[in-house]
Amino acid sequence: MKKIVYFLSILSVLSCQDDNGEYIEIDQPLDFIIPANFPEPVQDISYNAPTQKGFELGRKLFYDGRLSRDGTVSCSFCHEQASAFTHHGHDFSHGVDNLEGLRNAPAVQNMAFQGEYFYDGASSSLEMLSIVPIHNPVEMDENLESIVLKLKQDPVYVKLFSQAFANKEVSSGNMLKALGQFMTMMVSANSRYDKYVRNEAGGTLSTQELQGRALFQTNCATCHATDLFTDNKFRNNGLPPNPNLNDLGRETVTGFAYDRYKFKVPSLRNVALTAPYMHDGRFGSLQSVLNFYASGVQNTQNLDPLLQQHPTLGIPLNQQEKEAIIAFLKTLTDEEFVSNPLFYFRT
Amino acid sequence: MKSRLKNIAGLLALSLFINSCSSDDNGSAPADGTSGDVELFFDNGVAGDALMLGNSYTNSNGETLIFERFTYIVSNFVLIKEDGSEFTYPKNESYFIINEETGQFTVHLENVPAGDYKKIKFGIGVDQQRYLQGETAQQSFWDLAFANNMTWTWSTGYRFINCQGTFTVDPAHGGDTTSRGFMIHQGSNTATDNYREVVLNLPTTARVREGEMPNIHLKSDANVILDGDTKIELHHNLNGAGTAASIMAGENLITIANNTKKMFTVDHVHNGAGTHH
Repeated sequence: MKKIVYFLSILSVLSCQDDNGEYIEIDQPLDFIIPANFPEPVQDISYNAPTQKGFELGRKLFYDGRLSRDGTVSCSFCHEQASAFTHHGHDFSHGVDNLEGLRNAPAVQNMAFQGEYFYDGASSSLEMLSIVPIHNPVEMDENLESIVLKLKQDPVYVKLFSQAFANKEVSSGNMLKALGQFMTMMVSANSRYDKYVRNEAGGTLSTQELQGRALFQTNCATCHATDLFTDNKFRNNGLPPNPNLNDLGRETVTGFAYDRYKFKVPSLRNVALTAPYMHDGRFGSLQSVLNFYASGVQNTQNLDPLLQQHPTLGIPLNQQEKEAIIAFLKTLTDEEFVSNPLFYFRT
Repeated sequence: MKSRLKNIAGLLALSLFINSCSSDDNGSAPADGTSGDVELFFDNGVAGDALMLGNSYTNSNGETLIFERFTYIVSNFVLIKEDGSEFTYPKNESYFIINEETGQFTVHLENVPAGDYKKIKFGIGVDQQRYLQGETAQQSFWDLAFANNMTWTWSTGYRFINCQGTFTVDPAHGGDTTSRGFMIHQGSNTATDNYREVVLNLPTTARVREGEMPNIHLKSDANVILDGDTKIELHHNLNGAGTAASIMAGENLITIANNTKKMFTVDHVHNGAGTHH
């Protein structure tokens, strides 16, 4: 395994005892480990290198409803660990006052390996992206200044911020950094598939799964590329636009007509756990997704050329092949990640 | 002890003498290792007229604009001497907001090495490199920008220029006289880097000395945003319902980025201790 250890400047919390003889906890840099079968991270982790206390603070914030206007909606509300940090069973993300968003909550995993976030790439910074759901009026409907005021009233937070950051401040910047550190460490790379490609114990795939893998490599892996299972690009996969939403996708951010109906290619890690599928959660099962690619692709504006290489649009697949691909996709489930107590803040 | 006091008194007298020389209008060589402050005053205007929020201005596109908001970010200040040597203001402290609504027109730079400066360089907006470094690098600039309506929250970027108001179109230019809102939110996004830098010559040397602060008086022309080298007609950028024009993405932002490279000129420089402009 490639291993990067970031040596942080030694914080003032280094000593175990202060002048009054009281025990002081030590903040320590965390190892950010790049899985052997992963490409290099896209984000520069040294800008916001995770520490033990920063990570713990980020985790507490991730699970705290105070980040929303009325205290009801935390990040974890739409990003549940058991569903690989998606909103299981909900096509759209939910927010305060029981309002409903316009897109399906994407998985929070392997974030440092992505260059752009959200289905339309509205953010390119792991440290800044939390701004979007926090301010969205149909999600958390809050602002950073107001959250900081709430957190300053809580001695537990005051202590955690002072341990996690050199300037000891409860500030919007430190809050975003802590959330960024937590998300940096959320690496999912221990599925049965990973063990198979790394020749580790427990890494066996059945004949059907291997057949599915071969089909996947031929038909899907150009977009769902590398062991991240995404090329991190924006593409139109030919979904008929929902006339009630008219979601323009990537064009919303860039303003370029050639980006219309393009959405970020999602990673397929833990995909068996993240139903419903697509940016608007229109498909309830992987079978429906593959049915769509086999016979539902429509020639909308900017349809990806890769889906126009066959006599019919999309990817020709028979039922036996679809089942094999689904069997393969299920090997991408990382039980360790979705049950790891490190990512679960127990109140 | 006494003799040491005498020495100090002597040094003091000597330094006073040197100081009195340096306030001579003809100037003198700056003392090594000393520093002073620099103030930049941004005087907002529209094609040669003073900008007043609520007043109307007609541009060469046949559109008459009433500005209700004109705010922008200036950053990454560099002072350049005649020999080309540069002083780069510390990046962490080099982001400022000029806001016509709140009357914030000045950029105050501290601890600038004493010297004679001939040019200034600065950026319009927030550079991508800095942005990607996140809040660590920006300190609390996001908070300040949020308070000045200079952040996007549906995406995570800064508005470099926020210019809003209403407009009408001269029928000769294919419009009607209905008043509609306009909203120009200039900035970068994850597809386009629209940060630009400008380098401006100073008509008079800005003399930075300890206790002597030059005041650089700039003029900012809001007209060039739409009516600069490349024209942007608001009535060609109406929303689907035709009720307002909003410019927040796409090719227009690249056009504005290039137009605004001519937004700033240095009108004059005051040297001395005063704060007038």
